[in-house]
Amino acid sequence: MKLRILTALLSLSLLAGTAGAQAVIRIGAPLPMTGGLSPEGQRLKQGHDLWAETVNKAGGILVGRNRHKVEMVYADYQSNTPRAVQLADKLITQDKVDYIFSPFGSGATKAVSAVTEKNEVPNIAATASSVEVFNQGHKYIFGLFTPNDSLTEPLAELARARLPAGARVAVLARNDLFPSALAAELEKSARKRGFQLVYNEKYAIGAMDHSGTLVQVKAARPDWLVVTGYTNDVILVRKQMQDAGLSAALVTMVIGPSYREFTESIGALAEGVTSAVWWHPVARYTGQDVFGSTEKYVAAFRQKYGTDPDYANAVGSLAGSVLQAAIEKAGTTERKAVRDQLARMNLNTFFGPVAFDANGMVNSYVPPVFQIQGGRSVVVYPASIATGTLK
Amino acid sequence: MSKRIFIAQPLRATLMLLLCLALAVVAATGGSYWLRLASTAAMYVVLASSWNIVGGFTGYPSFATAAFFGLGAYVAAIAQTRGLPMAASWVAAGLFTAACAFALGLALLRLKGHYFAVGSLVVAEVLREIMAAGGTLTGGGMGLNLPLLSMAPQAIGRLYLAAFAVLAVASVLLSWAVLRSRFGAGLACIEQNEDAAVMLGVNTTLYKSAALALSALLAGLAGAVYANWINYIDPGDVFNVLLSVKPIVMALLGGIGTLTGPVIGAVGLVGLEEIVTRSFLDLTGVVLGLAVVALVLFLPHGVNGLAFMGRSLKGRQP
Amino acid sequence: MALAQVLLNGLLLGGIYACIGAGFSIVWGVVNIINILHGSFIVLGAYGAFFAHQHLGLHPFMAMLPLAGLGYLLGQGLQRHLIRHVMAAKVLVTLTLTFGLNLLLNNLMIYAFSADFRKVVLPNQEPLVLAGLTLPMDRLLSMLAAAGVVLATHLLVTRTMLGRSIVAVRMDPQAATLMGVDVDRTFAITFGLGTALAIVAGAILSPIFPISPTAADSYLGKAFIVCVLGGLGSLPGVLAGGIVLGLVESLGAFYLGPDHSLTLSFGLLLLFLLLRPQGLLGRKGFE
Repeated sequence: MKLRILTALLSLSLLAGTAGAQAVIRIGAPLPMTGGLSPEGQRLKQGHDLWAETVNKAGGILVGRNRHKVEMVYADYQSNTPRAVQLADKLITQDKVDYIFSPFGSGATKAVSAVTEKNEVPNIAATASSVEVFNQGHKYIFGLFTPNDSLTEPLAELARARLPAGARVAVLARNDLFPSALAAELEKSARKRGFQLVYNEKYAIGAMDHSGTLVQVKAARPDWLVVTGYTNDVILVRKQMQDAGLSAALVTMVIGPSYREFTESIGALAEGVTSAVWWHPVARYTGQDVFGSTEKYVAAFRQKYGTDPDYANAVGSLAGSVLQAAIEKAGTTERKAVRDQLARMNLNTFFGPVAFDANGMVNSYVPPVFQIQGGRSVVVYPASIATGTLK
Repeated sequence: MSKRIFIAQPLRATLMLLLCLALAVVAATGGSYWLRLASTAAMYVVLASSWNIVGGFTGYPSFATAAFFGLGAYVAAIAQTRGLPMAASWVAAGLFTAACAFALGLALLRLKGHYFAVGSLVVAEVLREIMAAGGTLTGGGMGLNLPLLSMAPQAIGRLYLAAFAVLAVASVLLSWAVLRSRFGAGLACIEQNEDAAVMLGVNTTLYKSAALALSALLAGLAGAVYANWINYIDPGDVFNVLLSVKPIVMALLGGIGTLTGPVIGAVGLVGLEEIVTRSFLDLTGVVLGLAVVALVLFLPHGVNGLAFMGRSLKGRQP
Repeated sequence: MALAQVLLNGLLLGGIYACIGAGFSIVWGVVNIINILHGSFIVLGAYGAFFAHQHLGLHPFMAMLPLAGLGYLLGQGLQRHLIRHVMAAKVLVTLTLTFGLNLLLNNLMIYAFSADFRKVVLPNQEPLVLAGLTLPMDRLLSMLAAAGVVLATHLLVTRTMLGRSIVAVRMDPQAATLMGVDVDRTFAITFGLGTALAIVAGAILSPIFPISPTAADSYLGKAFIVCVLGGLGSLPGVLAGGIVLGLVESLGAFYLGPDHSLTLSFGLLLLFLLLRPQGLLGRKGFE
C-alpha cells in the first residue's frame, strides 16, 4: 500500500511540477520490501528515492534540449528470487519502464540479469559484487560494486603489514553466494602474501550456534581471523568468540561492522574489528553528478532521513546518478545508446570515480577499509581518505 | 470411487474447457507477463496433481513435493552444466527423481499420519543441505546457472508455457488413468482402510511406493523445466517448503482426491495470489495467511462445499 | 581438552533446545496438533522481552512471567475459537490451518516490527573459566532458566490435578471423558500452556540470539527434531532430545565442519523417524 501511495504521490508531484514537459523517465526497481532481506530493500529504496527527489527538484534529467522528470516504479519480490524475476519481467513488459535497477544481492541480480538481457534493457546493479554475476556475457548489466578481490586485497595488504609471512589465517564463510565468493577471493589474497591457511570452512545459512566451529578455529591458533556473512551472523560469531575464549591478533568481518547494529549489539566486543566496504561517509569525493560531493550527499541524506547514510543507501543513489549521466551524455533515452554510454562511462561522483570494465563491473575506485575504534568506524585505507591508522 | 470423478461433472467439465480456452488465448496472444503467469499456473497444476496422487488417492499427507521438485531441478541443472541437452536432462531428472522416490518410499511410507508428514517434510531439508554442501558439482550455496536459450523473449515464453502446459495435461491424464485402473482401486482401498487392503491381498508397500514414484516423476519434471525457465537455481529457492504446502492448499481448495480439484485449486490460488500481491503489496503474506485460514475453517471440502451447500456429505470422510 | 569444551557447549546448547521443544512437544503429544505457529510464538516472546527491556528496563527473565501469562491466554483463545473446529479432521487439515495462521502471524510481525534483527543487549559478562573450560555466562544462565521452566512444567503435569487430566486425555481421550474430564477444556489449556512455553523460550533466548521473524523457521526445525528424538508428550523426553541434538550438533561441527551440521541433525531426525519414531523416551501411539 505504502509503495503505491508513494508512486502515486511522486507521479502527482511530477505532473504538478512540469509545465508542458514531455515523457517521464520511468525506472523499475524490484526490491525486497518484505521478508528476510527487507532491511536491505529499504536501504536501497531510500537511496533511489533521494536521487529521484534531488534530480526532480533540479528540473529532471537533461535529454537533448528537454528536461524529463524521473519516476521510480517499485515492486516487492518478498525476498523471493523467482518472484524478482517475474516482477522484473512485469515491470519491463507490462509497466513499460525504461530502465531497471537490480534487486538486492548477487543471487537475485544474477537471476534478473537474464530478463533484462533478453529484453535489452539497461540494468544498473547496485549491490552485486561477485564476478559470477557478470561473467555471463550479458551486455546490458552494469555493477556498481567493485569485485570482491578489491575488498580482499587491501585487507590482506594491511594484514601483511601487521603480521609476518607464514602467519596463520582462518576463514569462516556463510554458505551463500556473496560471502562464499568473498571468502574464496580472500583465500587467494592471503596465499599471495605467504599466509598459511589453517582453517577454511563454510557455515550453514540460518546457523544458530557456532560454538563447536569456534572451538575448532581456536585449536588452529589463527593470527588473522576472517568471518564473512551478514550482520546477524557476524554479531553471533563475535559474541561466541568471547564465549570460546578465542582471540586473534587481527579480526576481520564482512559485512556487518558498517551497520550501527553491530556496535550497538556487542558494544566493547566490536573494538578492533576491521572490515571493508565499498563506500564510507567520511570519504571526500567530488563529482559532476547531481549530488556534487560526498559531504553534500551526506547532508542531503541526513536532511531527508535524519540519519547518516551507509554504503547501501549511497550505492542506491549512485545507480541514479550513473544512469542520469549516461542518458545526458547520450542525448536520448533510447536504450541501446544509453547502454553504450554506460559502457564507456568515466565519471566522478560523490561515491568515487565510476568506470566499468569489459564485463560491466566497476573497477575505478578503491573500497575503503575501516576499523572500529572507540565505538566508531575509522577509515584506515586508502591513505587519501583515511581518518586514522590501524591499531 | 466413481463419486470422485463424477461429482458435478458438467460444471467441472465446463470449467476445464474454459481453462483450456484461456490457455490457448494466452499462448497465442499473451505478452511476456501473461505467459509467465500462465506458466506458473500450469506448473502448480502439475504439482497439485502430483500431490493428489499420494495425498488424495492414497491418503498419505506428503510434504515431500518440494523435495522432488528441487531434486528434479538440480539433476537437470547438473546434467546441463555437464553438456547434456535440455530435453534429455529433463527426462533424466524425472526418471531419477521417480527412482529415488520409490526407494525412499519403501522406508518412509511405513510411517503414518503426523510422522509421515514430518518425515516427508524433512526429506526436503536434508536434500537442501546436501545440495548446499555440494561444492562445485551443485554450486553449493552459490547456486547454479543454466544457459539462456538464444531465441526472442516472446518465443522463449511460449516455449516454456507449452512445456508446462504439456506437463499439466499429462498429469491430469495420468491421474485419470490411475483412477480408472486396478492400481487406482488399490490406492483407494489403502486410503479407506490400509489394514483391510492388506487383507484383501493388495500389495500395499508396492502400491504406495509406486504412487510416490509417480508423484515424484511429475514434480521432478516440473522442477527440471522450472530450472531452465528461471535460468538460476539455488538450494533455498527450489527446496522451499512453500512448494510443498501450496499444492496441498490447492488440492484442498479444489477438492482432494478428485480429478479436476488440483487444476481448479492451482489456477484459483495462483490467480488469487496475483490479485492480492497487486492490491496489498506489504501485506500480501498476511492476506494469504487469512485466506488459507478461512479456507480451512469454512471450506473443508474445497469448492465442493460451495457447490453442495445443503446437500448432506456425511457419507464422505472429512 | 577441546573435546571436553565441545561436549560442554553441546550440553548448554541442549538445554536451550529443550526449552525450544517443550511447548511443541506438549501440544503435539497431548492435543495431537503439529503447531507450525510454534516458531513464530518463540519469536513473539523474544520481541516481548525486547520491548519490555527497551521501554521498561525489565530483564528478560523478569519479563518472562507476565509474557507467559499473555502467551497462555493467546494460545488458549486460539485453540478454543479456531483450531477446535478442525480437530476432528485429518492431520492434513490442522497442519494447513496452523500453517495459514503462522503465515498470518509471521507476516504481521514483519509488518509491525520489520525484519531487522534486534538484540536484547545486556551488560557484557566475561565467560567463567573453570578447569580450562570456558563457560559463557549468558548461555549458562539461559540454560538454567530453560531447565527450570521445563522442570516446573514437569511438576505441573505430574503433581497437579490439571496435569493429571492432561495426561489422562493424552492416554485416552474417550476414557478421560468417561472419568469426567472436560476434554475440550483440557485441550485449550494445553495449547495455552504450549504457547506460554514458546513465549518463555523466546524471552530466555532473547539475550543470546538475534531476534527477527525470519528466525521462526529455524526454531521450528529444532523443535521438530527435539520432539522426534526425545519422544512426544514427555518432558524428560524433551530434555533428552534437546541434549542429544545439542551434542550431535556440537560434535558434528567439530568433527565434520560447520557446513554439515544441519544435514547431520535433519539426517538424524529422518533416521529416528524411520527406525524409532517414538524417540528415546516416548511412548508409541499418536500416529
